[in-house]
Amino acid sequence: MNHDALVAVARAVFEAAGGTPIDPDYVLPADIPLELSGEAVRARLCVFTDNRGAEMVMRPDLTLPVAQREVARLAEAGASAKTYTYAARAFRLPAAADDPFEFTQVGVERFGHDAGPAADAELFALVHRAVEACGVQPVAVVTGDLGIFPAFIDALGLPTVSTDLLKRAFRQEGGVRAVLDAGARELDADVLAALDADGAEAALGAVLAARAIPLAGARSLAEIVDGLRARRAAIAAGGLPETARAALLALRDVDCPLTEAPGRLSDLARTYGLAGADAALAAFAARVEKIMALVPAARRTAAFRAGFGRRFTYYDGFVFEVLADGLSASQPVAAGGRYDGLIAGLSSGRVSATGIGGIVRPDRMVRVRRAGA
Amino acid sequence: MSRLTIAIPSKGRLKEQTEAWLAGIGHPLRQIGGERGYTAELEGLDAEVRLLSAREIAQGLIEGSLHFGVTGEDLLHDLAPDGPAEFRVLKRLGFGGADVVVAVPQAWFDVDSMADLEAAGAAFRKAHGRRLRVATKYMRITRRFFAQKSVGEYRLVESAGATEAAPSTGTADVIVDITTTGATLKANGLKILGDGVILKSEAAFTQSVRADFGGGAGQAAEQLMGALSQADHIS
Repeated sequence: MNHDALVAVARAVFEAAGGTPIDPDYVLPADIPLELSGEAVRARLCVFTDNRGAEMVMRPDLTLPVAQREVARLAEAGASAKTYTYAARAFRLPAAADDPFEFTQVGVERFGHDAGPAADAELFALVHRAVEACGVQPVAVVTGDLGIFPAFIDALGLPTVSTDLLKRAFRQEGGVRAVLDAGARELDADVLAALDADGAEAALGAVLAARAIPLAGARSLAEIVDGLRARRAAIAAGGLPETARAALLALRDVDCPLTEAPGRLSDLARTYGLAGADAALAAFAARVEKIMALVPAARRTAAFRAGFGRRFTYYDGFVFEVLADGLSASQPVAAGGRYDGLIAGLSSGRVSATGIGGIVRPDRMVRVRRAGA
Repeated sequence: MSRLTIAIPSKGRLKEQTEAWLAGIGHPLRQIGGERGYTAELEGLDAEVRLLSAREIAQGLIEGSLHFGVTGEDLLHDLAPDGPAEFRVLKRLGFGGADVVVAVPQAWFDVDSMADLEAAGAAFRKAHGRRLRVATKYMRITRRFFAQKSVGEYRLVESAGATEAAPSTGTADVIVDITTTGATLKANGLKILGDGVILKSEAAFTQSVRADFGGGAGQAAEQLMGALSQADHIS
């Protein structure tokens, strides 16, 4: 089968599962990926400026423009569940010499459906089936769950300031370690006094005036006061308790067959007394069970890595990548995951809907099939 | 390109200091067409010398259209898509020194480190519905450094000049810029973050790793390298 034949086969698998075909906008405002995902993604974006100088991008995947359309539909038609399928071009700056600039993604996006463990497993099974229908045998599946780390952090019962910091840090390479190792610097006496004054903002403004410091940029005095209070709280808390550090570092290092992951995570939660994570762990175990029931091969191929997927910026739950022989670990033939916050993020909270999606890459499957032939 | 091609800065103090250094290693510069010409020769060496902007020199070394050049390390690091493996610094020349730094408004008493900046950026995004803006002409090294420091809560704004004024004019909140003494930053109400020094840059005599060193270029290159190492032994 050549590339177009693989596209047709994969497309048939997704369309058979139901859904409306869609080919959304090719060109998006650069704000959409950059505000949503941050500058880290810019290195892969095909950016250009329009005639008025505004930064635009060629769609780097289909999830973003499909979600953009869904935001418009929800705002007009009100909340209802919807499934889309597509076989469409996406555009990225190559990360490796053998990466193409443009490629076809065949996939599915589901909005507003039930978001439980069964829905995760069914989406994964559907994508897995599309890969197999293309005559490619997955040799490895890497999975993660971007809800587990936050659940552990919440269960630790830390001060809010540390909780927020750690959840953000988890999304950055090396971030957790950096937070665990950082000590908060003491504040100057006049600044501390301003925090305790009646009307802290005005008092801080007076400190600025006394030191002849202008207030430049868009951050307000109120935001600086909030930042200072957070730092004072962090100093008062005296850093993270030893058990919290140990628990988070142990969680960060979990990397095991998916079948063993529920046990490993429960053991960790029990060892560190984190009963608060029980609900998240029960859902996790239910998902693993359902995946094994729907895709028996996953017993052999699927792994769980606690840190996996944290840089997939708009994902916020179950995430996976499917690997095949002959390609590197950074070139999965299929991928997907849950992004329940995406619709709310894109619409600044005007509308919201659960979301999950997955794609296959026919161009890569052609290479796998050629290597195996 | 069988003749050796060398580029040096076309004007200013950087040009004067480079000329003095070349004379010091025994190959004084002779400009063709007088002071305003943009090509030159080196005494005692079969090479074409081009007078270019520091940015063009860095770009040419990375692409391989120049064999050797004198330019700032800041530009080399920023213009090389894959980082320092794309050029070879043979000698840091001890002049043109400056630091590429991350600076924020001095009024941000709650932000002294890159980690603080990340926290402030996250709170900013919640309050304003957009990311903190970082103005710079160093798009690549900024992105690399912020990733290395685990900072993701920001947007880059490309700055064509007077980057230090961006916070006070409202085009950005944070800057990444080059500074020698920090005085300009201070005058604009900015401070350098404690762990915000990205690069200590100097003018550097640099070899291209992509240029073709076959034929006459190779011979002249060897001669030049010989002069370089001899000068090192003397000094």
